[in-house]
Amino acid sequence: MAPGSDRYASRADTAAFLVCLVLSLVALALPAGLKEPIAGALRRTVLLPVLAVQRQAVASGVARERLATVRSERDSLVLETTFLPELRAENDRLRALLGLAARLGRGFATAAVLHQAGVADGLTLVLSAGREEGVEQFAPVVAARGVLGLVRTVDPHTSVALAWTHPDFRASAMVEGTTVYGIVRARRGERSGELMELIGVPYREQLVPGTRVVTSGLGGVFPRGIPLGTVQGIMTEATGWERTYVLQPVVHPSEAAHVIILSPARAADTLQAAFGGRRTAADSVLLVRDSAGVRIVRPPPPPPRRWPRQAAPPPQQPAPPTPPSGAPPRLHL
Amino acid sequence: MRIAAPQVRVGLVLALLVALHFVVRPRLGDPRFAPDFVLVALLFFATRVRPMAGTIAGFLVGLVTDAVAPTAFGSAAVALTVIGYLSGWLKAVVFADNLLVNALFVLVAAWARDAIGVLVAHQLEGGALGWQLLVLSPLAAASTAAAAVVTLLLFRGWLRQSAT
Repeated sequence: MAPGSDRYASRADTAAFLVCLVLSLVALALPAGLKEPIAGALRRTVLLPVLAVQRQAVASGVARERLATVRSERDSLVLETTFLPELRAENDRLRALLGLAARLGRGFATAAVLHQAGVADGLTLVLSAGREEGVEQFAPVVAARGVLGLVRTVDPHTSVALAWTHPDFRASAMVEGTTVYGIVRARRGERSGELMELIGVPYREQLVPGTRVVTSGLGGVFPRGIPLGTVQGIMTEATGWERTYVLQPVVHPSEAAHVIILSPARAADTLQAAFGGRRTAADSVLLVRDSAGVRIVRPPPPPPRRWPRQAAPPPQQPAPPTPPSGAPPRLHL
Repeated sequence: MRIAAPQVRVGLVLALLVALHFVVRPRLGDPRFAPDFVLVALLFFATRVRPMAGTIAGFLVGLVTDAVAPTAFGSAAVALTVIGYLSGWLKAVVFADNLLVNALFVLVAAWARDAIGVLVAHQLEGGALGWQLLVLSPLAAASTAAAAVVTLLLFRGWLRQSAT
């Protein structure tokens, strides 16, 4: 490989060139039956190491590509898995809302909750339906499981609802299936916004934990029978006067993604059945089999509901000096 | 580590180019446009030795190249024999130690190698032949020339010393 002093081609150079050229042309002119054995012999000897290196290089490149693909697939799966519970929960909420809409039948508008960043989030809800969609001021806002709040301001295509967590929220409530009435509001104190208070319950009425509290229909805003919460225990009591109970709300505003806004015209309705309340005879049908075959028969309508202001007051009972056994636990919240 | 002998230095660069051809080239995407490091090594070698050595090197490299494309067995041998011989002869006549001239030399040599190989193999004709010679081969030659320039920039001291 020493640099030659004479770079011009000599006869020997030309001869070597011609020999190599002829050999190349001979190789080119060889029949296919001879080309392959020579090429194969070269591949198995001279080219074996370099082909092995090349094969490794290619395999390494392919492995790297596959690794990147596998990583991206894994990341996609992780991402999908991350959102899966949320999607399932949203699916369940939407199905529940669809079921509620079917049970409500008429007089409502659906809306999505537009999340807002800031301290007001959770106290007020911006809804994606407004005047054009039939929303009116003071319209009840409900989720599939119960009360969320009521509309405070209405714009053409959006509205702002006061959630039950808001300090100004009040709803007339009653214990389901009884004539025990009270007012529900957000619990004040350190855990405000997570629990409700049922205030103004007559002292003689004792509610056991787990008792369901629904809207009473009084006040002309919320229809009767929409769930508000369940009793957790007594919070305070003014001896001989009234008790205040702590309620576990059935739905929290932060959980709501889609809501139903009821028309104020339905304030006089009873929606107990729509929210899965205790079934009444009006909700039932009879399957009758007779000579004409099998047919569905609705039972006779129930007697008219006795509204609390018409109901006879229950017999007065002396207030026990101490809670009897089985009384709801006093909560220190 | 100080490497004194110019031949050893050039040999190392050539070995590096051959290694790059088999290790790096498969990862450079479309092989039709990837730089041919073996051709660069052959050209660097042929321009630093007598035409006879360049011719023999070209013939052997061509034969080995043909081994992986046996349907056109001999075409690369013809092409690289010619390129090897002409490189040694041409370098002695007109070559200057200039980066641009070196790049142009590699570009023309790479394209000529393709042209000779394609024409001798007689496997392409018509539009495919034109596409190969006027589009694909110039692109491949350009990438090979770029690889040669990079090599010269990285090892210019070693390669210049050996040429003197």
